[in-house]
Amino acid sequence: MSSKSVADSDVIQVEKLVKRYDELVAVNGISFEVHRGEIFGILGPNGAGKTTTVEILEGMREADSGLALVDGIDVKSDPRAVKSIIGVQLQSVQFFDQLKLHELVSLFGSLYSRKVDAQELLARVDLTEKQDALYKTLSGGQKQRLSVAVALVNDPVVLFLDEPTTGLDPQARRHMWELISSIRDSGATIVLTTHYMEEAEELCDRVAIMDAGKIVRLGSPLELVEELLATGFSKDREVRPADLEDVFIHHTGHALRESS
Amino acid sequence: MALTIASLKMYFRNWQGVFWSLFFPAVIMVIFGFINFGGFNAPDVGVVDMSKSTSSTRLMTLLGGSGSDEALNITIGNEEDLSEKLDDGDLDAIFIIPEAFAAESSRSLISVRADARKLEEKAVALAVLNVALNRLFLEIGDVPAEFVLANRFGIEESSVEVDEEEFSDFLVPGIAAMAIMQAGIFGVVFSLVRFRAQGVLRRLFATPIGANHFLVGQVITRLTISLVQAYILLIAGALILDVSVGGSVAAWLSLTVMALLGGALFISLGLAISGLAKTEDTAAPLSNIIALPMMFMSGIFFPVDVLPSAMQNVVQFLPLTYLADGMREAALDGSSLLELGPELLGLGIWTIVIFAVATRVFKWE
Repeated sequence: MSSKSVADSDVIQVEKLVKRYDELVAVNGISFEVHRGEIFGILGPNGAGKTTTVEILEGMREADSGLALVDGIDVKSDPRAVKSIIGVQLQSVQFFDQLKLHELVSLFGSLYSRKVDAQELLARVDLTEKQDALYKTLSGGQKQRLSVAVALVNDPVVLFLDEPTTGLDPQARRHMWELISSIRDSGATIVLTTHYMEEAEELCDRVAIMDAGKIVRLGSPLELVEELLATGFSKDREVRPADLEDVFIHHTGHALRESS
Repeated sequence: MALTIASLKMYFRNWQGVFWSLFFPAVIMVIFGFINFGGFNAPDVGVVDMSKSTSSTRLMTLLGGSGSDEALNITIGNEEDLSEKLDDGDLDAIFIIPEAFAAESSRSLISVRADARKLEEKAVALAVLNVALNRLFLEIGDVPAEFVLANRFGIEESSVEVDEEEFSDFLVPGIAAMAIMQAGIFGVVFSLVRFRAQGVLRRLFATPIGANHFLVGQVITRLTISLVQAYILLIAGALILDVSVGGSVAAWLSLTVMALLGGALFISLGLAISGLAKTEDTAAPLSNIIALPMMFMSGIFFPVDVLPSAMQNVVQFLPLTYLADGMREAALDGSSLLELGPELLGLGIWTIVIFAVATRVFKWE
């Protein structure tokens, strides 16, 4: 686990954010800050409002009320300025399937008016040997990594990752975790949503737990665990030093399985 | 513009799509090109009356027949104008009535010039002329007994080799126009709806590019494609069906401008349809509802003037009518851009209106 120094300023500020879809209140007056340089997790069951919150911050959805600032820019009044300084990885999104990977990366660079070193970016996500392959030939894990490479074309201040490891096998998931840590180490702030608790524990400096549009808890994973234990909570089951996933990794190894 | 180049790469990598976008119009062109849909109509005959006598006036009345079931469609005019029409294929034959027509005790020779290709029309025209002369002969009645028709009136035939303007000439520029429409509407609708379903558009929406930027990029990409396609079809038409396409630099310039403007129009229409269609399932029927009526009414397969006049009033303002007319005039008559003013104006107005609609209804997700 990487260091957990407290950032000196907040790169994201959210105040009393509300988003309604007809009857449903998807985001119900949440407030939080994301410190510069940290990995901030938004956790919660499906339908808790994680994705809506992230999409508001990304300038893809307009909040009904409340304030959201990204690097000091009001998302509501200037979504395009926000889009130009953030990197985004969306859930269940494909890319142009007739393009080669290096073409896709260069194309997205050009959308930010940047000339990017596609080879270098693809090397960063471990796709060097696939740079001349068409997008449609990639495996699930490779597609996820490509979408991270594409999200990095503009050297973003904040990188948003929406469920980056959903659907990946344990090897590919660990590989993605390493990638995310290395991106944070290079200076970006990362906001990620997940419903895998071990992922949040592994990666996040702080997490916000959402349920039914509200933030029910916010703090570092360790603090939140301590807080729960302080109430006298204990697991029904004895916790062993290894679990089934450890067995799986032990017997199948860490190597990525992507020979497509 | 990187988006444009990328889109072109994607288009040409999808070689099956390229094939079908040319195959369909080409097949229609060949099938209809070899069937002569021209059919048989009353021959169009020009009459030059040099005599301007009661006899010649009477003869023309007899030629015209009575009322609606005219045997010949008669146009009266001077020799120069009518010869030109014959050369253009607008007339099937010309009758020239000599100065001293039906003068007493002389033999009047009517010269008939007919389009060498139109044998049926020529036969009908000659038969009608013979009947008319026969009646005139009897009506004049002042003839000595020994006089027979042949001594009084004669017919001098000649054939004229005419610039071919057959059904395939009519068809090929129209098919090129239709192909531009098809590529515009269907090409755009299907790729955009697919991109939206895959979330590609949603991903683009997360970047700083605006909807207008994206839409303009799409138009430019596909314009390149529709121009290439139009050239291929016109040149194929010229080679396979022996259509005289263009011929002059001005004609090709007109064709190019027409193809570009028409392309922009129908690509915008495709963008508008893909914005209006809620799902992939509604996109296809919506495209067909818009494209098919135009395909059959805008003078692609048959001239607009065979339609009832009430319908013609509407059809003449359809986008595809402007495009087909413009391309036909440019290809066959070599019309310059100035002469194509009305078509260009019609296409321009449609393009602006439809693109405005497309930008308003566009959806990223």
